[in-house]
Amino acid sequence: MSSRDYLGEFEHLTVLAVLRLADKAYGVTVRQEIENRTTREVSIGAVYATLDRLEAKGFIKSHLGDPTPERGGRSKRFFEVTPKGIAAVNRTRRALESMSEGLILIRSYS
Amino acid sequence: MIPDGFVRPPRIATWLVALFASAEKESLEGDLFEEFSDLASRSGAAVARRWYWRQALQSIVHLSIAAFRATPYSTTAVVIAGLLLGRALFPLTEKGIFAVLERYRVFDTHFDAYVFFATDGLAAAHVVTSMIVGCCVAFTAKRREMMATITLVLLLFGMTCAALLVWVAKGNAFMLWSMLPWNFLDWFAMLVGAAIIQNKRTASRKLSSRP
Repeated sequence: MSSRDYLGEFEHLTVLAVLRLADKAYGVTVRQEIENRTTREVSIGAVYATLDRLEAKGFIKSHLGDPTPERGGRSKRFFEVTPKGIAAVNRTRRALESMSEGLILIRSYS
Repeated sequence: MIPDGFVRPPRIATWLVALFASAEKESLEGDLFEEFSDLASRSGAAVARRWYWRQALQSIVHLSIAAFRATPYSTTAVVIAGLLLGRALFPLTEKGIFAVLERYRVFDTHFDAYVFFATDGLAAAHVVTSMIVGCCVAFTAKRREMMATITLVLLLFGMTCAALLVWVAKGNAFMLWSMLPWNFLDWFAMLVGAAIIQNKRTASRKLSSRP
């Protein structure tokens, strides 16, 4: 199994966001979902760079919607996780669980 | 028709993002526009503009890194080729200018003009040559035009900084200091050349994708 079969931290967050949003997953909603749930500022460029990489690996697929006036006549690009992507999420989650199993995680040094 | 209270996103930021986003340009611009309009109506134009600029600059960094990571070897090859092209073209430009000055005996007849062409004229020719190098690099680096040219500019910037440190250590950095503004202009010209090629390519892609 190569490192390409696992997801990086931000890749993992992005795929989970796309899964949560189901058929409403496009740039804006994915970015906001990650930002709201992780409370860290995320740029739309980081989201697109990650989504492109995931698409190249076959973990997600995308299609263009119709242009809308509230977007200045530009189309939305909707994303969907593929079965290969779901397998990668499960594999990564199992690896993380396996690594943290039995560890007493210190919450603070105070 | 533009509705009342419509706030337009910063044009320069939009243009910069368009330069760096290739395949995902339309949807990325649309996403930024949608969030900007929403934020402008909720929090005001100034807050929305600040947010837009921050998003644009962060996106440029992420898109550039992602483009380099996608094709590191071919990008490195294009950047090195650009560096060598610059090394080959700059002496030729100098030789060309001095050949013309010699041919028309400018030194004897118009000394002031000779001094101008041998100093500022030469530097201006370097700027034009830099723009040509930028065009060539962008032309070769398809779909990662700006990223390849920025990498070349960063490499040249690093080399200049290293040279500056060596000259400062030797105690004779005056020449290099005086050339720095021209160096910055050269690098800017490279980026302008790349932006021209990138814009031309985007326009032709738009035309060819129309039904």
